[in-house]
Amino acid sequence: MSLTNLILLTGRTINQGVALEGGKVTKENVRAAGICTFDKDDFKKLDCIAGTPVKVTTDFGEVMVYSTITEEGPHPGIIFIPMGPWSNQVVNPDTQGCGTPTYKGMKAKVETVKDGRVLDAIELIGKLKEVQK
Amino acid sequence: MTQKKITTHYDVLCPFCGTLCDDLEVDIADNEIIEMRNSCQIGTKKFFSSNPSGHRYLKPQIKEKGTFRDATWDEALDKAADILIKAKRPLLYGFSSTECEAQGVGAELAEYLRAILDNTASVCHGPSLLAIQDVGAPLSTLGEYKNRADLVIFWGSNPVHAHPRHLSRYSDYVRGYFRKDGRNDRYIVVVDPRNTHTAQIADLYIKVNPNEDYELLNAIRAVLRGVELDAKEVSGVPMEDIKKLVDILKKCHFGVIFFGMGLTQTISHHRNIDSAICLVRELNDHTKFLLTPMRGHYNVAGANQVFTWNTGYAYSIDFSREYARYNPGEFSSVDLLMNDEVDATLIVASDPASNFPAGAVRNMFKHPIIAIEPHHTPTSVYADVILPPAFAGIECEGTAYRMDKVPLRLRKVKDAPVDCLPDKEILERLLEKVKAKEGK
Amino acid sequence: MAEVKLKLKKKPKFPLEADSITPDNFAGKTLAEIKKLPLYHARELVTIGDFFDVSGKAEDVANTKIIIDGDVSNVKRIGEKMTGGEIIINSDVGMHVGNTMSGGKILVKGSADDWAGAMLQGGELEIEGNAGHYVGSAYRGFWQGMKNGTIRVQGKVGNESMLWAKSSKPANKWPTLYCGGASSFLGLHNHGGTMVVDGDVDRCIGADQVRGIIVVKGKISRMLPSFKKLDEVNEITLPNGEIITGKFAQYSGDHSVSKETDGRLYVAIK
Repeated sequence: MSLTNLILLTGRTINQGVALEGGKVTKENVRAAGICTFDKDDFKKLDCIAGTPVKVTTDFGEVMVYSTITEEGPHPGIIFIPMGPWSNQVVNPDTQGCGTPTYKGMKAKVETVKDGRVLDAIELIGKLKEVQK
Repeated sequence: MTQKKITTHYDVLCPFCGTLCDDLEVDIADNEIIEMRNSCQIGTKKFFSSNPSGHRYLKPQIKEKGTFRDATWDEALDKAADILIKAKRPLLYGFSSTECEAQGVGAELAEYLRAILDNTASVCHGPSLLAIQDVGAPLSTLGEYKNRADLVIFWGSNPVHAHPRHLSRYSDYVRGYFRKDGRNDRYIVVVDPRNTHTAQIADLYIKVNPNEDYELLNAIRAVLRGVELDAKEVSGVPMEDIKKLVDILKKCHFGVIFFGMGLTQTISHHRNIDSAICLVRELNDHTKFLLTPMRGHYNVAGANQVFTWNTGYAYSIDFSREYARYNPGEFSSVDLLMNDEVDATLIVASDPASNFPAGAVRNMFKHPIIAIEPHHTPTSVYADVILPPAFAGIECEGTAYRMDKVPLRLRKVKDAPVDCLPDKEILERLLEKVKAKEGK
Repeated sequence: MAEVKLKLKKKPKFPLEADSITPDNFAGKTLAEIKKLPLYHARELVTIGDFFDVSGKAEDVANTKIIIDGDVSNVKRIGEKMTGGEIIINSDVGMHVGNTMSGGKILVKGSADDWAGAMLQGGELEIEGNAGHYVGSAYRGFWQGMKNGTIRVQGKVGNESMLWAKSSKPANKWPTLYCGGASSFLGLHNHGGTMVVDGDVDRCIGADQVRGIIVVKGKISRMLPSFKKLDEVNEITLPNGEIITGKFAQYSGDHSVSKETDGRLYVAIK
């Protein structure tokens, strides 16, 4: 199932903060930052259980993350991925000449991928390292 | 069972977020953190993460044929110096999670190398600094807010998650000199696209459409001036609610806006802050009003201070023409990396591989990386040289600036592992190496 | 007019800072002297001769025309602070082209990067393609930007163009931008600048405008709530004397800055 016409916000969560201090390369970090939080009613439209991997796509990239239901809603039409390696695959790197990327407010779409694989931080970031000849 | 001798340290500073709590209690035994009191979850985790673990670097590392090997400090510094000298446009980035004296040496090293010098404000509150440079800012210190503010607004900021003890120490659940009834003496307003945990404990939550904060601030300022607007609703907020908010703003005795990434990282960036500052300034025609940026890292404000008094500028500084020049958008790390304009990076006390957009990280990985980093992170794992530091604020002393620019003294409560050096010393030795290699 | 021809020999690996390429710097110099003028390539000090083939001859400032060939999209600061003469750039050009110039003319036969014509004090800058952000804007920390002169961009300009523009009625200085389209925040903190847009604009046009005139012949994606509709007009007289005819809705603003304002925004009625 999929949802379109969403706005993606990113930012700090306390769990993500704890996890990054505990070790950015741990499983705890994936569960803290490799997630996408949905509005309760939006999530019903996806017709899956919380935790199902979803592929989030914006104009800037795509990333596989675990789905969760928000405790900070309602926010229909908005999805939230904590700041970190996962959200950074899909944020807008353009700074409009001011130096700061546009980390929040991207148009996004989401589809469930039942057997999708959510990568850990090292593997995910590793894909950005091109094979040096 | 032998009793461990526990030493308790009081009034310890927390080296995590810009709230820079200064009331932590730390119990140490056998040079390990045993118990923390008063710290939030994240601060606690940070202190405990300095204990021996599988993911802390205990010796300098050099990458050879794709894997790291232990190296001596001399070898590692030598290799790092070579990388920096060979580069034509090296970038020195980070600095926000270390102490001020180290930041000062970083500035000196960047100037000597004619490199780019940048800190994490570049991707965080840089827009706030840009706005302040254009329209000034009525700022104050957290103690003033704690004691006086009866109206507290969080705009684009979610302290329950990002600054966990801010509310209980300075802005919400604390008794102040003129706010003796604590929470009951304050009116809390949250403006956010989501009904965040902070919004859920506020008195008034205003749901604003994402990317439309500027229009809302603009409307509030016009209504404040007594202008009757044509619109029935702005940014998802009904005009009646805007008028009610303006009344609340005017009628308080002492108001403050705390703002965060909701304003700096959305489209319009620094202009959101520009408008918020102008609003606060204009409110001073009616009452007392101030604002303060919720700085993310415990010493990013310090990096801005130190860079400014050394170079004249707070971040995104270029030394390539042998004098300091400043222009975010041109000399900011993400823009430079997106243009593939940097050919070597020295990353100090930060993790850009996790925090920069993927395109910037991809280009950063094309060139040598030196990481001064205590833990395994996506940046250090893909670096070429790792120089392991002591944790500032836990294993070495120094100064840090809180979000309201108050300087406080970081403590040393335990020793660093024997081969981990303070950031300041690492940078000094690196600078020496670079100078020696260039025959100076 | 004496012509000096510069042809780029090799594409710079890093941006090249070429503020020495101006009629002022070339005037009265021999080709050999021009070749020795400094450029910065990242942190390396190089010369014009290292990167350009130089031919032709220079005269005095007013009569020196510089023609630049080759892909200079990565070359910054061409024309900086010039006071006269001409520069023709036959490709896209890097940041800061024509910044702080006070006289003379620059023509870019391509697109320009950010900060084109920043801090313009006079003269003419023409760009046939698009331009980046901050066209005709003030530099960081300056509260007065473009004070005089004309910028024409046939294509679209980026955000915050004409930031802090300042006119002077007593001195008859009317900084003016003509463009084919604009992104957001055109005329931000406007103190008298004139902007005429042939096509569409994005949001926050005229934000914090204190006085000045912005004319949009196309559509605005979203008007700021602090702008108030006054009436409809059939003719607009610009401060530089030019008259624009057509049916326009006249708005006053930015009222977030003051209750009464001379600032005006005109949007075409179709």
